Amino acid sequence: MGQRGDFHWLVKCASAALLSLLVCAIAVLRSGGGLELPATTTRDGALLTLNRYVREPIPDVVLVGSSLTFRLSEEYFENPRLRNLALAGGSPVTGLEIIAHQSRLPKVILVESNVLSRPADDVLIEKYTNKRRVEPLFLRPVRSGVASYENWMHKPAGHSQVAEALNRLVMQAPSDFDNRVYVERVVSQFDALDPAPVVRMNVEIMRGLIPELEGRGAKVFLFELPYIDQVEKTRAVTITREIVHAAFPDPSRWLPIDVTRSDLRWADGVHLDERSALITARSMEKNLAMRSRGG
Amino acid sequence: MSFTSWQFAIFVAVVFGAYYSPPLGRFQTQLLVFSSLFFYGYGQPELLPLLAVAVCGTFVFLTLALRNRAIWLPGGIVFNLLLLAFFKYKFLFIGVESQGLTGITPIDLLLKLPLPIGISFFVFHNISLLVDLTRDKTRPPSLTDVFLYIVFFPQLVSGPITRAEMFFPQIKPKCVADVPFVEAARWVLTGYFFKLFVANNLNEMTSYMDFPLYETLQTEDRWLLVFLYSYQIYADFFGYSAIAIGIALLFGFRLPINFNLPYISSSFSEFWTRWHISLSSWLRTYLYIPLGGNRCGLARTNLNLMIVMGLGGLWHGAGVSYLVWGLLHGLLLVFERPFLKSLQTIDSALLRFARMTFVFLCVSVLWIFFKLPNFDHALGYLVGMFTPGKNPNPPKLFHDLALLYALPVMIQHLGFGSVLQSRLSRWEPYLYGVMAALAYLEAGPDVSFIYFQF
Repeated sequence: MGQRGDFHWLVKCASAALLSLLVCAIAVLRSGGGLELPATTTRDGALLTLNRYVREPIPDVVLVGSSLTFRLSEEYFENPRLRNLALAGGSPVTGLEIIAHQSRLPKVILVESNVLSRPADDVLIEKYTNKRRVEPLFLRPVRSGVASYENWMHKPAGHSQVAEALNRLVMQAPSDFDNRVYVERVVSQFDALDPAPVVRMNVEIMRGLIPELEGRGAKVFLFELPYIDQVEKTRAVTITREIVHAAFPDPSRWLPIDVTRSDLRWADGVHLDERSALITARSMEKNLAMRSRGG
Repeated sequence: MSFTSWQFAIFVAVVFGAYYSPPLGRFQTQLLVFSSLFFYGYGQPELLPLLAVAVCGTFVFLTLALRNRAIWLPGGIVFNLLLLAFFKYKFLFIGVESQGLTGITPIDLLLKLPLPIGISFFVFHNISLLVDLTRDKTRPPSLTDVFLYIVFFPQLVSGPITRAEMFFPQIKPKCVADVPFVEAARWVLTGYFFKLFVANNLNEMTSYMDFPLYETLQTEDRWLLVFLYSYQIYADFFGYSAIAIGIALLFGFRLPINFNLPYISSSFSEFWTRWHISLSSWLRTYLYIPLGGNRCGLARTNLNLMIVMGLGGLWHGAGVSYLVWGLLHGLLLVFERPFLKSLQTIDSALLRFARMTFVFLCVSVLWIFFKLPNFDHALGYLVGMFTPGKNPNPPKLFHDLALLYALPVMIQHLGFGSVLQSRLSRWEPYLYGVMAALAYLEAGPDVSFIYFQF
C-alpha cells in the first residue's frame, strides 16, 4: 500500500469511527439516556438508583446508608414511593449530601448510623449535584443493548407481584447456613479498626445537614441495623455507636427496629440475609407509620 | 505514564513530530532515549537513577566482556540478576512498612524503594545484550544505542522482550515516508480495543474473584469467571503488546510479535510457542538451551523443563502462587512429552478440538494462581470450584454481557483475522474505525495493565 493508499485507509477508518460516535450521540439525544444499564458491580447498582432518583419524581421516603442498608430492597417495603440510595462500599453521608443538594426533598429521610467510618464520596456528590452532568454524551451500545434485552426478558416485578413471594419467604424458617468463619473474620477486622476520627467528621456533617434538611420540610430519622451478637461487641461498632448517640441523644430522632434477634441471620457475618432484611424492612415501615401518626 | 492516558497520546504525538522534524533529524536516537527516560520517570522519577545504573553498569560489563567474555559475561549477568533479585524479592524478607531496617540511611533508602516498573523486562534486555553482542563479537555499540535498546519506551515497561541481535541493526536514520501508517494503526487500534473494550470490562466481573468476594460466588460462576479471566489476561497483555508494536512502528522499529492465538493450542508446548512468545523464546535461548535443553537424556530434559518453568513463574513475582503456576506448567509439559509424537500422527479434527479444549481448560484454571497471588486464597478459590456454593446471596453476573465482552477474543481465535485480510479486505478500514469508536464508547473502568506488576 502506497502513501496514497495509506491515506485513504486512514480516512475511511476515521470516518467510520466518527460516524459511530455520531450515531451514539444522536441515540442518547433520542432516548434521553434513560435506559438503565445492567450493573456488573454493586457500585454500578447504586449508581443506577442514584440516576433514577435524580430523573424521576421525588419519592416520599428515602433511605441512605452503606452496604448494610443496600440489602433492604425497595420491594420489601409496601410503600412504592420509597427509594433506597444506600451505596455499597460507601458512606451514608454521601447519600445525605446528594439529597441535600437537590432542589426538592422527600418527606422522610432515613439515615443508617452503622457504618460511618468511611468519608463521603466527593466525586459522587459533585456528579449528582449538577443534573446536567449525569447525562452521558454517548450511548454505550453494548451495555444499552444488553439493558434492553434484560428489561425485556427479565422485567423487574412490581410490588404486587412480589408480595406473595415475600410473604412465603418470611414464613420460612431462618437459614441454617454456617457463617462462623465469616463472623470470625468480621470480628477481627472490626476489632482492628479505630473509626473514631472519620465517624466524628461524618457526625459533624450530619449535625449540619439534618437541621438544614428539616428546615426545608423533610423529616430525618436515624436508624441502626442489628448486627450479629459477636459483631455488636467489637471495637468499631461500640466506638461508632458511642459517638453517634452522644451527638444525637434525642430518642425521637431514632427510628426503632423491633425484631426478634434470633430470627435474623447474617450470611457473610455482617449483612442481613434476604429474609432477615425483609423482616427488618417491615419493622422499619411499621414504626415509621407510627411515627408519622405521632405514635 | 499509562498507554491508556491522554497524557500518553500527547506525549507520542509530540515525540513523533520532533523525531521526524528535519532540524532534529541527526539526533533521532538521542531524542528517543530522552523521551523514553521522560516516559519512565513521569510516574516514578526516583527510580530513574536505578535505570541509569542498570544501563551504564551493563554497558561497562559489555565493553569488558567484548575483550574477555569468559570473565565479564558471567559478571554482567550476575550484576543484572542481583538487581532483579534485590528489587523483586527483597519484600520476601522485609515488610513494606518496616522502619529503620539497618539504621544506615542510604541502604534503608534502597530497601524502601518500590518495585521499579518493568525491571523484569529491562533486566532480560540487558542479559540479551551481553550474550548476543559478545557472542557475535561485534563492534561495541555506543552508550546511546545501548540506552535506546533498553529504555525504548514502547517496550520498556512490559516488553515485548526484544533480542539485541534483532534491535541493534534497526538503529539507523528514519524517514517519515517509510512509516507503515496503516500497519501501525491496525496494531494500535487492535491493542486499545482489546485493552479498553475487552480487558477493562471483563475486569469489572473478574473482580469478584478477589478474596474474600469469591466466597459469595456460586460454583458455576466461579468456573465462568475463570474463563473470563483467561480472556481478560490475554486481552490485556495482547492489547499492551499490540500497542507497543504499533507505536514502535511509528518510530521505525519492528518489535517481535508476542502472541499468536494461544488459546487454539492443542498441546502445552504449542501454547508456549504462542503465549508471551518473546519471554518463552528468551527463556529457551538463554536458559533452557544453556542448561542442556533436550540433548542430555529424558530425565535431564524433564528437569530442565521444570527449572525453566519454575524460574519463569518466579520471574513474574516473589510468591508461592507464581512458583506453583510455573511448576504446574512444567509438569504438564513433562507429562505430555511422551505422547506428543503419537498424538500428532492422528489426523482427526475431533481429537484436535478435544486437545484444544483440554489445554485451554488447564491453562485457564492455572491462571487462578496469577489472579490470586496469595497461595491460600488461590487454593480456596480452586476448592470452591468443585464444591457446591451455599451462600444464600450470590452476586448476579450478566452472562450475556460477559459473552459480548469476551466475544472479540473468541472471534480472533476462530481465525477471523485471515478472513478479514482476504474476503473482507474492502471493509477492513471501516471495521477498525468501529473498533476505535467502541474502545472509546464502551471502555471499562480504567485499570492498570496486568503485566505492569511484573
